[in-house]
This record gives sequence, C-alpha cells and structure tokens, in this order.
Amino acid sequence: MSDTTLFKVTIDNISIDVPAGTTILNAARMIGGDVAPPAMCYYSKLEGSGGKCRTCLVEVSKGSEKDPRPMPKLVASCRTTVMDGMEVKNITSPKVVDARAGIVEFLLLNHPLDCPICDQAGECHLQDLSYEHGKEGTRYEFQRRTFKKHDLGKYIQLHMTRCILCYRCVFAADQLTGKREHGILDRGDHSEIATMIEKNLQSDFIGNVIDVCPVGALTDKTFRFKNRVWFLKPMNAHRDCPTCSGKVTLWNRGEEVFRVTARKDQWGEVEEWICNECRFEKKLSSDWTIEGPRLIDRHSVISQGHYAGTVGTNMPTETIEAVLHGRKPKLLMDIHEVSEVNRPKIELSKINGPAHSNNFNPDND
Amino acid sequence: MGRKLLLEKAHVEGIRSFEVYRREGGYRSVEKALKTMSPEEIVEEVKKSGLRGRGGAGFPAGMKWSFIAKPEGVPRHLVCNADESEPGTFKDRYLMEFIPHLLIEGLIVSSFALGSNATYIYIRGEYAWIPDILEQAIAEAKANGFLGKNILGTGFDCEIYVQRGAGAYICGEETALIESLEGKRGNPRIKPPFPAIKGVWGRPTVVNNVETLASVVPIINEGGEEYAKIGVGKSTGTKLISACGNINKPGVFEIDMTISVEEFIYSDEYCGGIANGKRLKACIPGGSSVPILPANLLLKTAKGETRYMNYESLSDGGFATGSMMGSGGFIVLDEDQCVVRNTYSLARFYRHESCGQCSPCREGTGWMEKLLYRLEKGEGKSSDIDLLWDIQRKIEGNTICPLGDAAAWPVAAAIRHFRDEFEWHVSHAAEAQTRNFGLAHYADPIHVPA
Repeated sequence: MSDTTLFKVTIDNISIDVPAGTTILNAARMIGGDVAPPAMCYYSKLEGSGGKCRTCLVEVSKGSEKDPRPMPKLVASCRTTVMDGMEVKNITSPKVVDARAGIVEFLLLNHPLDCPICDQAGECHLQDLSYEHGKEGTRYEFQRRTFKKHDLGKYIQLHMTRCILCYRCVFAADQLTGKREHGILDRGDHSEIATMIEKNLQSDFIGNVIDVCPVGALTDKTFRFKNRVWFLKPMNAHRDCPTCSGKVTLWNRGEEVFRVTARKDQWGEVEEWICNECRFEKKLSSDWTIEGPRLIDRHSVISQGHYAGTVGTNMPTETIEAVLHGRKPKLLMDIHEVSEVNRPKIELSKINGPAHSNNFNPDND
Repeated sequence: MGRKLLLEKAHVEGIRSFEVYRREGGYRSVEKALKTMSPEEIVEEVKKSGLRGRGGAGFPAGMKWSFIAKPEGVPRHLVCNADESEPGTFKDRYLMEFIPHLLIEGLIVSSFALGSNATYIYIRGEYAWIPDILEQAIAEAKANGFLGKNILGTGFDCEIYVQRGAGAYICGEETALIESLEGKRGNPRIKPPFPAIKGVWGRPTVVNNVETLASVVPIINEGGEEYAKIGVGKSTGTKLISACGNINKPGVFEIDMTISVEEFIYSDEYCGGIANGKRLKACIPGGSSVPILPANLLLKTAKGETRYMNYESLSDGGFATGSMMGSGGFIVLDEDQCVVRNTYSLARFYRHESCGQCSPCREGTGWMEKLLYRLEKGEGKSSDIDLLWDIQRKIEGNTICPLGDAAAWPVAAAIRHFRDEFEWHVSHAAEAQTRNFGLAHYADPIHVPA
C-alpha cells in the first residue's frame, strides 16, 4: 500500500488509518461494532447507491487537519469521503442520535408494520434499525399509504406498501441486468417502484433484487408464507452452476430446503450474486453440496441460537416488568416455556448437519 | 427613484425584436467582452461587482464561476436556470417575456467567460409560451452573427439551446435540473461532486439564475466597480422583486436595495399600499420557502432598526426574528388572511413537489400537510403544534437538497411567530371556520388607519 495515501480518521474517539477516498461509513465498518452507522440504502456492491435514507447521518466535528472547521450539517456518512485528521461523531453525538430517531420515525410512517405476516421479519433491516435507533410508539395518526401487490414475473412479488424507497433494487436491476426496465414512478410519498409497465422482470440475475431489499417489499414467491426465517437453519452450500458462482446459503428445516439465498456478509450485503436457477429452482438437498452451518452476523432474530458461544451468556437483562414500567404481563401462556425452538440450551450451530425436529425433542436432551 | 439596469428598456415598443434591442444599445457587452476582454477578466469583473446569485441562496456569482474545473479537453457548460417555480416568484418570467434579448446577451458573455460552447436554458414547463419567445430571440441573434460559429469574428463558438421542463419544482434545484436536462428523472444528486466539477454529462457546469445572467450585461457595460456602487454593503446592484398578495399594485419591480421595506410596500412607486384599505398582517419576503414575518418584525428589526430590502437587512436576526431575501417573491398578507391556512397551502405544495428520494422530506412533508389540514379544519389538537415543530426540526438540514429546508422553514416560522393563531384554531375550532383570527398583536405599528 505504498502508492496510496493513508488518511487518519477518528470516529467516536477510535482512530483508524484508511486509504484516501474511503467513505466515513466504510471507515467505521473497518472499526466495526457500534461505531458503524446503520445503512438502509447504501450497498457497497451497487454503484451510485446511498445518500437517500439518511439513517447513516453523522456529525463531523472536525473537517480535517488542514481545515478543522466542523461541517455545518450532519452528513450522510455513506457518501462523504474522509479527510486526513477528520473527527466524526456517530453514537457519541446527541444530535446524531436525535436525528436518527427522527429518520426511523419517518421511515416507519408509511410502513404497514405487518411484521407478523411479513416474510422478511427476523432478517429485516428496518426491524433492526427501529429496535436499535427508534422510539416505541408512533405519533402518526393518519391513514398509511397502500398499494396493490404486483407480480414481477413468476418468482418475485412486489408489495410497495412495505417499501422504504431505498432504490437498491433499482440499482441492482440496472447494474446486474442488461436492460433497464425497473424504476420509480410518481414522486414524493406516493412514488412507487415499478416496471415499465407491469412488465415481468426477465433476467437470470433478477432474483438478487430480493436479497438487496432491506424490507419485505420484494419477496421470493417460492418461499412466501412457507416458514419463518428463524425456524430455519442457514447452511453454506454450493453447486456447479454454469451461470453463477453457485455459492449460496440454504435455509433448511430437517432435510427440506425452504429457500436459497446468496451469502450475506456481516453488513447484510450479498457476497456473490447468484442466478435465478440456483435461487428458485434447486430446492432439493440433493442439488447441493453442503459445506456446513453458516453463522449469521448482525442483530436479527434469525441469529438467535446461531451465535457461537453466546448462548446462555447473552440473555436480556431487562425483565418484562421493567419494559412494561412495572406492570405485570397478563400472559395466558409463556411461549418461551412451551416453545421448543426458543430453548436456549440448543445451539443450532453446534449440531452436526441440518437441524431437525428431533433435535428439539426434549427426550433427546 | 432607484436606478433600473435590467428593466429600463423592457417597455420600449418592439424591444423583443433584435433591431429595436440593438438600436437601444443591446449587445454592446458582447462586443466589448469578446473583443477586448479575456474570460478571466470577465470573471474578475463579475467578482468585483459583488453580484450575488438571484435564484435564492445569494451565493456570489463570481466565486461560483471561479470554482469551475478546467480539465484539458473536456467541454464545459453553462446552464441557465429558468425553472422558476417558487410560489410567489415570477420575476424571471417577466424578464424573459418582455426583454428576452437581455438574457441571450448575458448568456453569450457568460458562456465566453466560462468557455461554454453549448449553453442551455432549462425553462419551466408551465411557461409554455416563453420558449418560443426565447427561440425567436436566439434565431435573431444567430442571424446577426452574435451566436453560432465564430461570433463577431473572434473565433468563439456558442450555441444556446432551450430545454423545457415538465413542471416540477424540484428541477429548479441545480443537480435535479442537470438530471432532468440529461433526460433522466429529476432527482437531486448527492453532493459532492458539485456541478462545477461534474455537472451535465459529467462535465464541469455552472448553473445560474436568469436574473443573475442578465445582470452580467450591465456589469460588463459599466464595469464591476460601477455596478458595486449601486446598492448597499454586500447587496450590490439591482434586484427584481415580484410582489403579490393583498397589495394595490402587484407586479415586478426593479429596486436598488437601498429602500426600506416600508417604502416598498406603501409607496406608490412600488406596491402602492395594502389593497382595499386593509392593514398589513404578515409578509413572506422572498418566495414561499423563506420564513414568514409578522408586520411588526417586517418593518422594523428586533433591535428596532428600519428593515431594508436587501440581503443583510432582511436576514437580520437570523430565523428567530428575521427572514431571507430568497428569490424575491414578495407575498403580502392582509388582516383577513389566515396564517394556518396559508401554511397549510404551502405545506401541500411542498408535499406535492417532494421528489421522494430521501426519507425525511418524502415522509415529513406529507405528515406536516396532514397535521396542518387537520388544524385548519378545526379538528386539531394542541399537541399537533408541538408535533409540527418537532417534525420540521427533524427535516431541516437532514435532506439531500434544500427542498427539505424549504418545506420546514415556512412551518417553523409560522409556528414561531403565530403560535397563538394556531392555538386559537384548536381552542375555537368552530369559530375558526367562520371568521379569521385577525390582526391581534401582529399589526404593524406604523400604519394605523385613522
């Protein structure tokens, strides 16, 4: 790295040297942990993405070594490059925390919050974001906008009501496929993702728009309502695919493959795009060579039981009573006592091979 | 009586035609600039003049011009922003409609200064009849050798193209304008890179307002220093103000920025006083997006000094007790106007015009509109007012482009100065449907009718 200049940037009092041209967000991701701002629209693999959702806003308290003036406004960290000596405040800035809570409220304003029937629930970035940065309750008392569901071809369903207009799918459809027939119609809070005009999306790689969607607006029709993601066990697998790398994550329950997705890294971004055939057609265990369990990083509930070494040590410290401000919950049944999958004794990643209902049988303990 | 630089000849019979315009001394600046000055000298002259962008932000035009990147072998462009869509602002339309050659003349000089061989006029779609006027003027200028190849034998080539917009407010934002000009959806780009580095088709671009570019003509004719003598402080030259609302003489006025707001409203030379013998309640002094001011703060600043029609004086006191010059859309409200209704009307406009790209503006403008509708209809709650304040606070400064700020400021200012009127709409909901709140204490202290 002799030909590239390294810039020293300090984010939340942690310093790191990064190559010139790195964005604040990527520098923060290099540090990792809570320092990394959340990103709903930025996707490192999609050129031109970012800057739209404003969840990654940070405060620049010192512009650079040469020009130490702070930036007057909060900046979108995903689109602002670092300068030498820059000092950034993310979670240490009350301004940022306040603005971010506002952004989360705005994003949830027209979101239907139909998580109980949404396939994305459990691996939804908007869920993570609202748990981590939002406030409980909404101050919005008006009707939310709704749209009809649209079928984009035989594999993908678009449910615009859930969409937060991050434009990731527009960039993905634009950059992964040859023809651009996917974009935004209308403007403002009634703008919608659409194809020209209700055309089917036909491309070998168009299934990737499901993976880039941070919410449940684009869903896999071969998986819709089949299972909750946290009941499935993610397994790394590969096959010899003529069109793509064939490296995927299988979501199994027992021997049954419920769905196939691309492998996602710790920021929820696809490592390698996969083709439609791998994603939608190959739903048999025999189609795949299974490599082993996949650890799902980040915060989603799908990672319940998948964290290595965290079972039993990472229990919530708040009791339900504390959350309800002293009121005792009126529970007819404590699901955690009855449910087999939520028993923290079982760590799915330690099971050899795919998890099976037998693993949850109390007789096998 | 202030000097007129732009509209002096606007009402000469037949000034729209090249012959009359030329006879009245038109295109002198092109001859002077192209034959005797270098591009750097023109930029220097504009810098000396202290000319500030007339589109709303008031950024020094000469500075903006000097920022343009000049990589070898890459064409540069000048774009004229004629997408004048701010409610209350109609000065550019007036200028283009009555004296189109002045804009063309300014464009040729500015193109030469910036090295733009292809210059664009991006004009608002609703101005359906003006592109014809401009194209006629361009054709005439070309026929007389002031446009096209080898202008006046100086070897400088320049073409001016008129591009119509499709009627979106957001396309008045310079990067959205560039996107729209390129044939894409008019979404603002994320800055940096700024247009001066990467603008139209990735080339260095300067986007200027119609009035700014037209003002280049008197600057070249008289010299930057002479121009800077007009006006006061950093508000140099003359400014077009489009006055509308409850006044006796709505219209476009050219002022030299030394007159007071009081004189502007009440003198017969300008607005001619409040219509129908009513009294002044409030005023939006710079186009719909700037903060509204009650009469007592409009005529005098918070310190009790007289407020003048210039950039510094209008923004005296910041947003707490001041406003902005903005684009010069001077909207006057008399005692019969309801501020809540007025604010709702503005919020509805911004909701409709939000491009929907970034979340605070997309969702926040709609939310504010719904709350204001409810308040206006007498169905609001007193907590709605605090909620509105919180929403505008979370939109402002957190968006990609200034549309979010433009949507937040009017709401903030209305609540800041007219909170009792909002509260009255909640506490006297039924009454608010039949009569107006009236003047209360906002009345201007000066002009109390006998």
